[in-house]
Amino acid sequence: MDRRTVLKGLAGAGSLAVMGGLPMPAISQGAAARTLRFVPQADLANFDPIWGTQYVVRNASAMVWDQLYGVDDKLQPQRQMVESEEVSSDGLTWTFKLRSGLKFHDGEPVLAKDCVASLTRWSNRDPMGIMLKGIQNELTAVDDKTFKWVLKQPYPKMKLALGKNNSPVAFIMPERIAKTDPFKQISEYIGSGPMKFARNEWVPGAKAVFEKFADYVPRQDKGSWLAGGKQMLVDRIEWVIIPDPATAAAALQNGEIDWWENPLPDLVPVLKKNRNIGVDIADPLGNIGSFRMNHTHPPFDNVKVRRAVLTALNQEDYMRALVGDDTSLWKPLPGFFTPNTPLYTEEGGDILKMRNIDAAKKLLAESGYANEPVSCIVAQDQTITKAQGDVTADLLKRIGMNVDFVATDWGTVGARRAQKTPHNQGGWEMFHTWHAGADCINPAVYPAIRANGDKAWFGWPNSPGVEKEVTAWFEAKSLDEEKAAVARLNKAACEDVIYAPTGFFLSYTAWRKNVSGIVKGPLPFFWGVSKTA
Amino acid sequence: MASYVLRRILVTIPVMAIVALFVFSLLYIAPGDPAAVIAGDQASPADVERIRQSLGLDQPFLVQFGGWLWRILHFDLGTSIFTNLPVTSMIAQRIEPTLSLMLLTLVMTLVVAVPLGVVAAWKAGSWIDRAIMAFAVSAFSLPVFVVGYVLAYVFALQLEWLPVQGYTPFSEGIWPWLQSLILPSIALGCVYIALIARITRASMLEVLQQDYIRTGRAKGLGQRDILFVHALKNAAVPIVTVIGIGVALLIGGAVVTESVFAIPGVGRLTVDAILRRDYPVIQGIVLMFSFLYTLVNLLVDLTYTLIDPRIRY
Amino acid sequence: MTDVTTSSVSVPPGLAIAQALPDLMMPVKVRRGVVGFLRNNPTVAIGGALLAILVLIGIFAPYLGTVDPTAIAPAKRMRPPSELYWFGTDALGRDVYSRVLYGTRVSLTVGLSVAWLATLVGLAIGLVSGFVRWADGVIMRVMDGLMSIPPILLAIALMALTRGSVGNVIMAITVAEIPRVSRLVRGVVLSLREQPYVDAAIACGTRTPMIILRHILPNTLAPMLVQATYVCASAMIVEAILSFIGAGTPPTIPSWGNIMAEGRALWQVKPYIVFFPAAFLSVTVLAVNLVGDGLRDALDPRMAKNI
Repeated sequence: MDRRTVLKGLAGAGSLAVMGGLPMPAISQGAAARTLRFVPQADLANFDPIWGTQYVVRNASAMVWDQLYGVDDKLQPQRQMVESEEVSSDGLTWTFKLRSGLKFHDGEPVLAKDCVASLTRWSNRDPMGIMLKGIQNELTAVDDKTFKWVLKQPYPKMKLALGKNNSPVAFIMPERIAKTDPFKQISEYIGSGPMKFARNEWVPGAKAVFEKFADYVPRQDKGSWLAGGKQMLVDRIEWVIIPDPATAAAALQNGEIDWWENPLPDLVPVLKKNRNIGVDIADPLGNIGSFRMNHTHPPFDNVKVRRAVLTALNQEDYMRALVGDDTSLWKPLPGFFTPNTPLYTEEGGDILKMRNIDAAKKLLAESGYANEPVSCIVAQDQTITKAQGDVTADLLKRIGMNVDFVATDWGTVGARRAQKTPHNQGGWEMFHTWHAGADCINPAVYPAIRANGDKAWFGWPNSPGVEKEVTAWFEAKSLDEEKAAVARLNKAACEDVIYAPTGFFLSYTAWRKNVSGIVKGPLPFFWGVSKTA
Repeated sequence: MASYVLRRILVTIPVMAIVALFVFSLLYIAPGDPAAVIAGDQASPADVERIRQSLGLDQPFLVQFGGWLWRILHFDLGTSIFTNLPVTSMIAQRIEPTLSLMLLTLVMTLVVAVPLGVVAAWKAGSWIDRAIMAFAVSAFSLPVFVVGYVLAYVFALQLEWLPVQGYTPFSEGIWPWLQSLILPSIALGCVYIALIARITRASMLEVLQQDYIRTGRAKGLGQRDILFVHALKNAAVPIVTVIGIGVALLIGGAVVTESVFAIPGVGRLTVDAILRRDYPVIQGIVLMFSFLYTLVNLLVDLTYTLIDPRIRY
Repeated sequence: MTDVTTSSVSVPPGLAIAQALPDLMMPVKVRRGVVGFLRNNPTVAIGGALLAILVLIGIFAPYLGTVDPTAIAPAKRMRPPSELYWFGTDALGRDVYSRVLYGTRVSLTVGLSVAWLATLVGLAIGLVSGFVRWADGVIMRVMDGLMSIPPILLAIALMALTRGSVGNVIMAITVAEIPRVSRLVRGVVLSLREQPYVDAAIACGTRTPMIILRHILPNTLAPMLVQATYVCASAMIVEAILSFIGAGTPPTIPSWGNIMAEGRALWQVKPYIVFFPAAFLSVTVLAVNLVGDGLRDALDPRMAKNI
């Protein structure tokens, strides 16, 4: 082949490619006003709310699936998909009747058997569900719109279990999808919620798209968190994943995105200064930072060593490192329960107010600490754990412990924390995490406070005192009894150091001023949110 | 010529096989257990074991490798552990932004760097030459992400000429597509431009000292003719070589650029997958990039025959 | 008539000696020694001086007005540069000036160690490959395989296998750089192998190790030295990128890449956290590149053709 011909051919092909793309008309103003672009706190890598417990999965699922009940802004469960319920006089039989007009995104009506299958799957993974499953006699559909749950003993917190917002949420899925093994991911994302999931536009790690479901029938009552009517005022919601906070801030300032779920606290001042951006507290229930110690082997199997760490701990250091210098964003937390909730207590929390390095050193010496190494695994890709990890390493060094700082990623932390062995056999002595305040309001939704040894959350604390009060709370018949039980629980938890709370902190959310209807809550609620051009 | 192409392709196969073995064994011996992560916080060790079996992670190395290789040959790159989607479709979804970015950077680099190098060689020793070379050396030393942030701040945030982040697909119009890629291309291309400019200059310098250039000048040929028609064509071989090798730079830099400008490309997918230990995705991407790179080098070798008729295979 | 130069040689009759032409050329100042070399090659001088300053900064960091670079003080976080904190403080209240100066140690250690190790191993592999023909095919295929994985991806993947530590970072980057060095050495060896003096040495019965040591090795040193500087520069940038992504040196050790990674989210509000380490990194890489360029021009101008 002649060289010139080939070169000419290549040049020709090149110019054709350049001219090939015909410019499409830009999206009209009207269409843009009906699309909400949202930056979530993390990537939506998978989308099964029963299988995956990440907050971001729960937040997205709340749009696509619906619940039988939903908690309102007072954390009381209200009816959502359920029209009425009946409890037998002995408290053992619950009969639920569904609302009419409920449809799934594929056009099928929502039937009782879908609810039965969904609740069966849910009760295999959720702590309250597991309790229900343990006392269950039968869970069956009576007819197309009614199903019943017969128990062996009363369970007064049934509506809370079905309506809570804590993961895994009791979402209702079509029967064929709900029959998937609870330990495997579902592969179809069909629900009966107000938004459909645009599966073909999903790019994990980059974008997730939700479109308004025209056949959704919202309740007539006023919407409040997960309760009441869920009115969608936009046609399309695009979740844009921007992992770099600086880029997300710039995009919000430029108007390339409309709502940023979790702006970095240090960037908030520059956002506040922008006339087109509104900033407010995202969730009054906030978050509780924490690090957990491994109670199964030295040095933290010794309660004195744990108490020494707590004595030296200065929550202010942690909170400043986490949310910066704005003191309205954090509060010291001498306890384990969320402030501004009915069960909040500071009973027994004096040890967290001490902040005394010398007393800590003394306590450490008394405990007989023999310089055992403490391997502290810290996830670097989560801002919260990274900041906490740096402060803890410094704290432990100052009281004279032998720190081995293991910087890794959240995935590895997730894997490693499940090992009970010491660090030289692939285990750990300390890891950092945090809990949404909504998950720390009572013992039912709070696996991290349980202290039943091997069955407890990672760290495996063993405290009969705490467990006694958990049972007391479940059996409490009035709010006062609940409060008393939780106060004693708090005291026991502080004495035995179930874990170390590093403080209570709030986070902001930020949006462009042409977006309205954003409310504070434990998750971003998309109903009631509208946008002008 | 056809036999040369065939021979080169055959040589690629053992190279790719070595890459495949390397990639697979790398991740096989890696610590971190995806089964535990998938099982989640509340799972018991029995649950984790069940998941491990369902993923096939408990079988011996050769069995896993054999199965994996067999599937690769059928273009089945497996299923992502975290998203449950086929790896091939995950890559296909995100390949357009990365390829667009790399292609645009390549074109822009050639358009900018080659003339710079030619001018520097032509005016060798003068202040123009020194200025160009000083710029080249400095650009070579700047980290990609710093350049990216500065560009984004100045051109996107302050002047508002261009978007800060994101990618507009080609199908939505050529101008929006270009707009979303200009800043990332400049950031990515800085180092590449410096490299190509230096190589062009060095290669041109060598050629300009040749006798036939002097003859051409003596014949009265214009400067432009001498530089571009005679000198550049003869200097092209090393330049094209470096372009080929530099594609590796582009791939590596694309990873960072995509993070800074939030471009939903394969580079970012790689980093996410590696930090999450999503084995099938990592394997698929590294294989794909290696294949791409090998392809580019094959094209470079074939281009030699077009540029330099003396090279015949 | 022309002048006749005096000459000690007796002139045969009938011949004239040409007039000595006036000496129009300037006397060439022959510069000898290291100083002379530096004056002849200003790029090496500038680059070398910069590099020397940075090495000294790294070595004497504790005495240059620094504090403990890992001491956190959350109450004093995010202060802009001032008299007390010359480069300001970062998000945890650490002094950026101290961190940057101590970071010099890490980055220089990584750069120089990688250059050194990659050169040694690459040299060994290249020599073996160039000389031992049957091994050449296998080795070069393996090197090609490694080279076709983009180096940053390779380094990230290797780091994902192990814990973050300076040693592991050095290992990972070295593995990514070895193929190129070995290719270069092999190329030189292959071309030298055909030289007549090597043939002569073989003919004399010199054993292969001696040939390598006496004839091949000295000729590889020049291109190797130049390549080593490029490897050093490249290693420092790769370390910064690895830390930026989160797969590099552990956060307890201040390195420029780490400082920039931690400050990246804040560059809009507190640009100095990224600016100072970026400036130091750029200057260091620039210095190394200048040394490399200068050496290349000085040692073998024909090297300009090869990368």
